[in-house]
Amino acid sequence: MIDWKSRQNRDGGWAYNKGGSWTEPTVLILLAQSVTQIDRPGFEAGLNFLRSTQRRDGGWSPRPDVDESTWVTALAALLPEEAIGAERLKRAVAWLEGQTGRESGWSYRLQQTIAGNKEKYPEGWPWFPGAAAWVIPTSIGILAFERALTRGENRKLRERVNSGREFLFGRMCADGGWNHGSNRALGRDGDSYPETTGIALAALHRAPEHKTIARAKEAARRHLATCRTAEGIAWLRMGLAAHGEPVQSQASPTPRTAMDAALSAIATAAGTPGGRNPLLS
Amino acid sequence: MKPTRRELLGIAAAGVTIGGAALAHRANVRTAQHWPVSSVSIIKVPAYTMDVYDAVYRIVSEHNLNVRGKRIVLKPNLVEFDPHTAVNTHPMVVHAAYEAFRKLGAAEVKIAEGPGHRRATLDLADAAGYFSTVPKFEDAFTDLNLDEVSKLRIPQPVSQLKSLYLPHTVLDCDLLVSLPKMKTHHWAGATLAMKNLFGLVPGGVYGWPKNVLHWAGIAESIVDLHHLFPRQFAIVDGIVGMEGNGPIQGTPKQAGVLVAGSDVAAVDATCCRIMGIDPKKIAYLKIARGEENLEPSAFRQIGEPVSAVRTPFQLIDPWRQMIQAA
Repeated sequence: MIDWKSRQNRDGGWAYNKGGSWTEPTVLILLAQSVTQIDRPGFEAGLNFLRSTQRRDGGWSPRPDVDESTWVTALAALLPEEAIGAERLKRAVAWLEGQTGRESGWSYRLQQTIAGNKEKYPEGWPWFPGAAAWVIPTSIGILAFERALTRGENRKLRERVNSGREFLFGRMCADGGWNHGSNRALGRDGDSYPETTGIALAALHRAPEHKTIARAKEAARRHLATCRTAEGIAWLRMGLAAHGEPVQSQASPTPRTAMDAALSAIATAAGTPGGRNPLLS
Repeated sequence: MKPTRRELLGIAAAGVTIGGAALAHRANVRTAQHWPVSSVSIIKVPAYTMDVYDAVYRIVSEHNLNVRGKRIVLKPNLVEFDPHTAVNTHPMVVHAAYEAFRKLGAAEVKIAEGPGHRRATLDLADAAGYFSTVPKFEDAFTDLNLDEVSKLRIPQPVSQLKSLYLPHTVLDCDLLVSLPKMKTHHWAGATLAMKNLFGLVPGGVYGWPKNVLHWAGIAESIVDLHHLFPRQFAIVDGIVGMEGNGPIQGTPKQAGVLVAGSDVAAVDATCCRIMGIDPKKIAYLKIARGEENLEPSAFRQIGEPVSAVRTPFQLIDPWRQMIQAA
């Protein structure tokens, strides 16, 4: 068992490794606890940290001293409703609805149309407002909206999930996996990464059967055979388990950060018979 | 007590033109005017042998940096996991700089980097050989993507950025030492000491990649970052660089040089000439210094002349037509 308590900051949050609290590791550690063992006082302190840092606009910033809501809002929106509260989740989802990659905004599309570019830009999510959409925030955004849809049907959310999936399919690398989201540059193919391949595969767990999913699973298996990072292995295991393929990795590197430890714990729970992944609906 | 760089910049952000802000302002104004002649060292180092340590020590000593009692941050370029390519700054160059600054009396020498695409920075450093080359590497290292941050207003921005969150480790240092790899770059033409500063921007805030910089203008953001850190030194690892489709998918190219100096734009311009690139056609150099201040006569070469180490790097289209030197 991981000793989350000794790593917890006084404000209730967790750092990636050391220092002040960040939203991302705090959410992941709470989700990891939810499928392993909950340290009740620590869990409640973590939730209180998140309750106190939700911003007026409904989003969360990466850390309390950053004055802008970002993609981490999607992660926080994956917390159980009974833990964080229905109203908080509703506001978070509303904030996420207003976020798209800049390339799919009307201003950029208009510029591209005038320039004669007819390329489609499905709506994904950016890391930071005003930037382009990328694979990781889009994957987590899809999962957050799928979770919201379990609380009630909503046509707009459904459309964003479909658009997010379209974004991911469009950003798949030639080798069948995903990198951060730049699959081709200046006419040359980019190589996929383990962690992004695993995340995207997990985000597509409810996508209709698609031949690209089979290719992505092959890419994930190839990465898993050579990946040596705890982060990459955890996401690959989660991605494959999300498609009914619970696997172990031959390598088991020691997690270097608290976030890696949380991801590894979640991946182990997700790959255990009868276990579940708290990131997936 | 001496104010830290972060405090100085904090004051600058409040509108008082001192410290970094004053220097940044001066850099902007100087762009279209005459620059003082800067010294740039070019040292032949054919391979990653123990000679690297002597060469780096000699470079740092020659430039009389007065680092005694100062806090130094070494900023290498860590990009990808493949240890068989020339994608990352070689760990021996980083360790040599670490040892040189310590030997010259620096109070503290840290190694810090915030990779732009991959999140597992420590794993990346391990795969690049940093753990095995630098004793107690983890104690000396800070992942800039996950460091504590402060928001700084950018005085007179060239890009569309008005402010940036930046890591305390680099804001608090007395001298920032950029240790890039000599590489071609498919968006910027060449990635050297100035472009290496993208790694200062925290991924924990802006994501991976740090795409806000792209939208604000790549070349312009490089210049803004450069202006925010007027106390810099650069040692470019051109022992084996990368040509072709850099900064990630290119092929290794042996240039057999270390290029160094306190005027980082001058160092980059010199590297360009070694690589067979016209520095006046690299947008960020042009913005930072103006074309007239990128002429060879604007720099004083220490060590080898450019002609003795010139090693044209292969460029991909469309860069071949755009930036190749005559």
